Amino acid sequence: MLLHILNRSPATSEVYRQALAAMGPDDRLLLIEDGVQGALGALVDRFAALEGRLYAQEEDLVARGLEPLCDPSVALIDVEGFLTLTEEAQKTVSWF
Amino acid sequence: MMRYAILLMGAPYSSQAAHSALRFARAVAERGHRLEGVFFYHDGVHNAARLAAPPQDEPHLVDGWTALAADHGVPLQICIAAALRRGLLDEREAARHGKQGYSVAPPFELTGLGQLVDLGLRCDRLVTFGP
Repeated sequence: MLLHILNRSPATSEVYRQALAAMGPDDRLLLIEDGVQGALGALVDRFAALEGRLYAQEEDLVARGLEPLCDPSVALIDVEGFLTLTEEAQKTVSWF
Repeated sequence: MMRYAILLMGAPYSSQAAHSALRFARAVAERGHRLEGVFFYHDGVHNAARLAAPPQDEPHLVDGWTALAADHGVPLQICIAAALRRGLLDEREAARHGKQGYSVAPPFELTGLGQLVDLGLRCDRLVTFGP
């Protein structure tokens, strides 16, 4: 299982498509920085195929005032949770 | 306990990459993992600018990295080729190139790209923070 890390909003960058295309069936995706916009109700359908394997960095959502708009299907994690995801994955892949 | 390395390619204050990397680095070290090094590459080398003087009410990234090195003994490695062409020189390189003053000082160290390869081979996890 690999952890993919995406820091671009799906509203402004198409790189999320490359990330999704590269992901294996057990891989996880973590949205960080501007990538957390992908956790919003209006954009989260881009990641519908991930079903339970989509995470968002809570600190980055809060810093942008977006936490109340986060879709309930997304698992919010703090930096400790980010670290745990990297421990559980064999390796990490960053998309930017 | 696992061995971690971080690759940072974002300049301070231009993107969030440096803030994210520093936050993650602290979490790694404080959980008891061995952070074997932070490698600064591309525009990430600007994190080593010792003359950086951000406003006092903003996070001081250069001081943040320096504190990480002091608290946890983390090597801060700068790609020398990326640094020299951006005007980031330590005392030795400044003398070698006949420049007045220098812009990189310990705990930051100018190293080669081979160090990044070495970190990737040696560590259990290499986490990249891009711009």
